[in-house]
Amino acid sequence: MSSQQEQIREAARAYLEGGVVSVVIGYEHGPKGQVRPAFVYEAGDVDRLIWSRECNQNLTTYLHSFKHSPRRGAPVPRVAVVVRACDARAVNLLLHEQQIERDNIKVIGVVCGDREARGQERQACRYCQEREPVIYDTLVEPEAPVKLSETPDDYADILEMEEWAPQERLAYWLTEFDRCIRCYACRQACPGCYCFECVAEQVDPHWSSIAVELPEKFFFHVMRAFHLAGRCVGCDACEAVCPMDIPLSKLNRKLAKEVEDLFGYRTGDDPAALPPLATFNPEERLPL
Amino acid sequence: MRVLTQSQLNEWLDDLATRLRLVAPVDVQGRLLYRPVRDHEAIAWGYERSDMSPKTWTFPATEAIVTIEQGSETQINDAPPPDPTVIFGVRPCDARAALAIDALFLEKEPRDGRYAELRDATTLIGLACPEMWDSCFCTVVGGLPNGTDGLDMLLTELEGREHGQSYAVQVLSAKGERLLAGVTVQDRDVALPEPKLTEGLPTLSPSSEWKAAFDDVYWQRLGDRCLACRACTFVCPTCRCFDVRDEVASRRPGHTVFERLRAWDACTSAPYRRIAGGHNPRPTPQSRLRNRFYCKFMYYPDDFGPLGCVGCGRCIDTCPVSIDILEVISDVARLAARESAEVRA
Amino acid sequence: MSKVYTNPMKPELATVRGVRDLATGIKLLQVTLDDAAAMTRFVYEPGQFAEVSAFGVGESPFGIASTTARSEVIEFAVNRVGTVTQALHRLDVGDKVGVRGPLGNGFPLDEFKGRNVVVLGGGIGGAPLRPVIQSILDNRGDYGKLSIFWSARNPDLMVFTDEYEEWRQSPDTELHLTVDNATPGWEHSEGLITTLVEGVAPSADSAVTITCGPPIMIKFAMLSLQKLGFASAQNWVTLEAKMKCGIGKCGRCNLGDQFICLDGPVFRFDRVEQLLESFV
Repeated sequence: MSSQQEQIREAARAYLEGGVVSVVIGYEHGPKGQVRPAFVYEAGDVDRLIWSRECNQNLTTYLHSFKHSPRRGAPVPRVAVVVRACDARAVNLLLHEQQIERDNIKVIGVVCGDREARGQERQACRYCQEREPVIYDTLVEPEAPVKLSETPDDYADILEMEEWAPQERLAYWLTEFDRCIRCYACRQACPGCYCFECVAEQVDPHWSSIAVELPEKFFFHVMRAFHLAGRCVGCDACEAVCPMDIPLSKLNRKLAKEVEDLFGYRTGDDPAALPPLATFNPEERLPL
Repeated sequence: MRVLTQSQLNEWLDDLATRLRLVAPVDVQGRLLYRPVRDHEAIAWGYERSDMSPKTWTFPATEAIVTIEQGSETQINDAPPPDPTVIFGVRPCDARAALAIDALFLEKEPRDGRYAELRDATTLIGLACPEMWDSCFCTVVGGLPNGTDGLDMLLTELEGREHGQSYAVQVLSAKGERLLAGVTVQDRDVALPEPKLTEGLPTLSPSSEWKAAFDDVYWQRLGDRCLACRACTFVCPTCRCFDVRDEVASRRPGHTVFERLRAWDACTSAPYRRIAGGHNPRPTPQSRLRNRFYCKFMYYPDDFGPLGCVGCGRCIDTCPVSIDILEVISDVARLAARESAEVRA
Repeated sequence: MSKVYTNPMKPELATVRGVRDLATGIKLLQVTLDDAAAMTRFVYEPGQFAEVSAFGVGESPFGIASTTARSEVIEFAVNRVGTVTQALHRLDVGDKVGVRGPLGNGFPLDEFKGRNVVVLGGGIGGAPLRPVIQSILDNRGDYGKLSIFWSARNPDLMVFTDEYEEWRQSPDTELHLTVDNATPGWEHSEGLITTLVEGVAPSADSAVTITCGPPIMIKFAMLSLQKLGFASAQNWVTLEAKMKCGIGKCGRCNLGDQFICLDGPVFRFDRVEQLLESFV
């Protein structure tokens, strides 16, 4: 069994040589050894692609850069993207929401072990139920079997927060958002955030002031969390890219827990299941 | 040379904090930010480089530049005058950055009076860097870790201290002199320690070489991974692009007060350059990222004098996809060398 | 003694003196500055613009559509496309607005003296060109032949229709009108302005051109003029950008190292071609 890195390179080479895709989106090392997203356009360049514990950024967000025809008359480009289990669920989300066509993408799905973000183990990996991506065109097998987590996500950290009085919870989040600089890195890194004009930036209607101050930052993060309810796949890209280390995944996990409790739904798990908040079901009856 | 012991410095800072707004580096949930402090103990002593520059204290992230009152009459008022502020612990790179922004807001017509008022009300006390840290490259862009440009005063930590930390004090302006008036200092014969410089850094190409490289496919490839967020721009001490919008400050029947707000913005974000009708001359992250580098190393110096980069390295540490401005500087030099080799061939 | 800090972002209070319809969705707004001294100082040239505030809604840049020679009021053609223009459309005589200006550069009319002048106006782009035409008509002997090409998407969007007769009557002056989509009763050309210009084929000899309109129209107009033998240095354009501060500080309107609000909005086209970035 060749290494996962080799398998990724092989898949990329085959896709590019065969003219199946025009670009493969994966990971590479920069000159200082740091892991960063890689865009490989030529089969001869596939050796740039790497796979390591630090391959952590959700690359599916880049699918939005390739979903339109580049100029009049030109076809929509076909791309291949390297995904982990969580990223793969984002692919399903984008397919549900008709942002991408299944025929235009090749998914290089990697069965992955725990990942690292900023030198620390990723919390989301601890709760990962799949390890094997739910959607793929090429499956990159691990060299040794990957251990699945023993228990599903019990949302222990969220339950703990739910014990706090509302004032305590508000005080916690106001402290966290205080150092937010409203850079929108979280939004830009998120595959679920792709609005042409974000509510936070709209002039008409005028939802939010442009001020980089606490009320506006609070509004932005809470609004974004709600817009992701039932859509967030828990890749934690938002938290990983935040320059101020704000624990954004707590917000997303809280809402993911609510959606799971109410609808028994986890984003992107089942290709046939539709996101509950984006689906109108006349037979739906919620206990209120 | 004037010298302050740590306890003399602490006493002075405590006193300053009672008389005006004292801003200094503070640990905020693990991030180092310049925030107002009530005394010297709140300062995160022993810091290297802050995560956010002190830029917001000379060029606020959010500022009301004018207020408009609409009642039976309409009145346009200036925003209230700024509070006198001392920023302690400014690194030489960040002080040069303030000078770079001055070149546009103070020296280029029309002079921005609001900005001038804030600058006049603010005193910068610098703290020299003993060395260049991991992503620092001030020397590449004309700075030094113990540079004095743009500071009202520079403190340098002295070596060989037997009685705790002490600081050599260089007063650099009348403002600095006034601030130090009445403060107990010692007069010692000391040599200022030389900072440790990083070696092997690239050389910055001149404007003409940047111009020649503009259409290279390099920028398309570099910009592929740019997320079009605003992080690099917001942590940068030199970036100064802003948005303007009228917001309601208060409202009661028959009387509304609006504030015309100026807030930080970034040329890297998608809607920045969209014009009425939806057209965008920089529709891709690649074109916007290229514009940002060209602004820093070509347009800004060509138009206003100073470079738009002081080599603080914060963008290198912050960019989630490892777009590295120092790498870009090296790459442009490489492109220029290749181009001239081709021309010679 | 306290220092005086002049805030270039602070608007002058102004009063609306008149509002009239120019075309569907386009109104002519006429204002005077409340402060008499400021009004006297408000000396502008064709091509310059001002930032007009609809208080509480916002501020937007508008080309100044009047000339000091003919008008005691400052005129703006306002196309209703967003929140600010919508608010301006709702104003009545006596209402207050804010004005900052005049900003930017104007057309170098002195340089055009003794030359033939070709004017291309697309839609609302006609607004800053009207004062150019008026200035030429008011100093007719200083200029050569005047060829005006005026266009809009449809007849309801043509601006300054009540002035066409005066333009036509002027000696050695031609007016050519065209719309993209004609409606019954339209007696003039149908088709793109570039087609009309190429058809009429004004001579490039001793001539200058002035084009104002959407970026794409300017792009194709320049190609047409090139075909007709005009060198880029003979062509002048006004460029559009989302200007915010209007005074070259906010960084928003840069095109390469040029700021459209400060170095423009009037540019000689060879300068635009030299820019690293494309304006379109």
